Amino acid sequence: MLDHHGVEQFLYREARLMDTHAYDTWLELWARTAHYWIPCNGDDIDVTRHVSLVNEDRPGLEDRVQRLKSGAHYAQDPPSRLSRVVSNVELDQDSSPDALVVHSTFNLSAHRRRRLDVVAGRVTHRLVLEDGQVRIATKKVVLVDNDDTIMNLTYLV
Amino acid sequence: MTAGAPIRYADLVLDDRVHDSVYTDPQIFEEEIDRIFHHGWVFVGHEGEVPEPGDYRSRELGRQPVIFARGDDGVVRVLMNRCTHRGAMVCPYERGNSRFFTCAYHGWTFRNSGGLVGVPHPEQYGDSFDRDALGLRPVPRCDSYRGFVFASLSVDVVPLVEHLGPRVLAEMDIAGDLSPGGRLEVTAGVHKFGYGGNWKLQLENSVDGYHITHLHRSYFRIQEERSGRDAMRFATAASPALVHSLGNGHVSWDLSPAGFGGAAIERLRNTPGWPRDYYDLLVSAHGQARADEVLSHGAGHVAIFPNLVIIASQLRMIRPVAVDRTEVFIYPTLLSDVPPEMNEERLRRHESFYGPAGGGATDDLEVFERVTAGLRAKVDPWIRIDRGLGREVVADDGTVSAQITSELSNRAILGHWRRVMSGEASVRLSPRRSTEE
Ligand code: FES
Ligand SMILES: [Fe+2]
Repeated sequence: MLDHHGVEQFLYREARLMDTHAYDTWLELWARTAHYWIPCNGDDIDVTRHVSLVNEDRPGLEDRVQRLKSGAHYAQDPPSRLSRVVSNVELDQDSSPDALVVHSTFNLSAHRRRRLDVVAGRVTHRLVLEDGQVRIATKKVVLVDNDDTIMNLTYLV
Repeated sequence: MTAGAPIRYADLVLDDRVHDSVYTDPQIFEEEIDRIFHHGWVFVGHEGEVPEPGDYRSRELGRQPVIFARGDDGVVRVLMNRCTHRGAMVCPYERGNSRFFTCAYHGWTFRNSGGLVGVPHPEQYGDSFDRDALGLRPVPRCDSYRGFVFASLSVDVVPLVEHLGPRVLAEMDIAGDLSPGGRLEVTAGVHKFGYGGNWKLQLENSVDGYHITHLHRSYFRIQEERSGRDAMRFATAASPALVHSLGNGHVSWDLSPAGFGGAAIERLRNTPGWPRDYYDLLVSAHGQARADEVLSHGAGHVAIFPNLVIIASQLRMIRPVAVDRTEVFIYPTLLSDVPPEMNEERLRRHESFYGPAGGGATDDLEVFERVTAGLRAKVDPWIRIDRGLGREVVADDGTVSAQITSELSNRAILGHWRRVMSGEASVRLSPRRSTEE
């Protein structure tokens, strides 16, 4: 599907779209059936019995984007200014010709109203081909501080 | 306000307005910690958080660290988190399960019920050393109702049931009876977030009916598009839904006049799968009459002074950190003995609104910071809380009710706050009561 360089380019592009609040274009990266997950209070919780920070399928993702674009999601008004570094990109052995499992890390500086937050974590993407395009089928974000007080995580990570 | 001068609380909270120093003055904050959090009933946790012997949570009463633990004997206690030797915190973890708490400094070891069981190298202590007298100190007063555990650092408080009052107890009964198992499970983790602002902003906002249709419209409009239902109808100025002042600063919403409960019952009965199964389970557990009663009341929405809010699918604990800094811990609750899909659905709905990445509660935190920023403008230091003033109805039991968008909620909370802070009527034992005893 993609070689290592192609995978890196895909993740960098996703990072840029999130950094620049290009919500619609970011949403286009996702597969028709998708799952976006940020666990809470741990890295491998059972979502049937435990709350997550984000646990969204495709309709949930669309709601999130629509909310961010509504002009009335005050927690992103004004939007945070974002810059993230994506690194340590690694193709998992579980990858198959039609589904790539990709690990990466990120370090994000988020500035808003005189406060600079640092957000960091490990990400696992499952990338699939849909209509000849690479799409995100699942994305799991393990934040280093997922069991600590977080002030505002309304931008895209 | 001159630092150190006695604060005249009666001048700061009037019937129709409140002075901004109530939210911004560090001296007032110190006095709140002392009078409200160190001398009155404070919510510590729910027994459902510590279901197994040895389960514990570290908590704070105001600024004082405590351990909320279920002992090997099955009893839930609130113990001061301080070694009786030289004072080190014995439990540094936020949560866990342990039979013992061993102090890191010299190794004194306490049972999870508090008793001191181990003292390394005791030879130097001599015969008068009384191990039994040196257990972890229990909090001076501790009591619970339907699993809701409260503690007070002062013994001089009215009994808990009196502090809560019959209407709050009834809300807790409903919160429990919405489960066929009759109890809440509080094992689904916690959303932790915070804001740069005073703790009362979150308490008042939790029962603020006026803000829903404006502040949360980005969330609810999308809900409406998806469901075809008018999701904000209950909070318009024409809504028959009510807000009640239950006494002692406790406030509840009552959505049943808006037909919420009745519609919910119909939806449950007519939807095959877990909704219908849940309805049947509830009827067989509590009987038809009680099942319909709790369902038509609907999930509660109750602010319990000073630091607990029970909302439909969550317990919200408010933790004052500084005059302009607050942490909010939201514990999603699960129902006991229901189809698992129901709890899953409950969690998914919760996540979409609450938490630091949610679509609703994050906007509340944003306005708390905007309020805090706005209050730096001092030409007119007053905050208006007069919406619906004079339109309240008083029931025989003393409950005051008003239309849901009325600021009765703010007046009830801040009115009680003023009484406690000025020592008028309070969280302390009333004189009449002490002569009776
Ligand atoms: S301070 Fe705890 S054992 Fe000495
Ligand atoms: Fe709100």
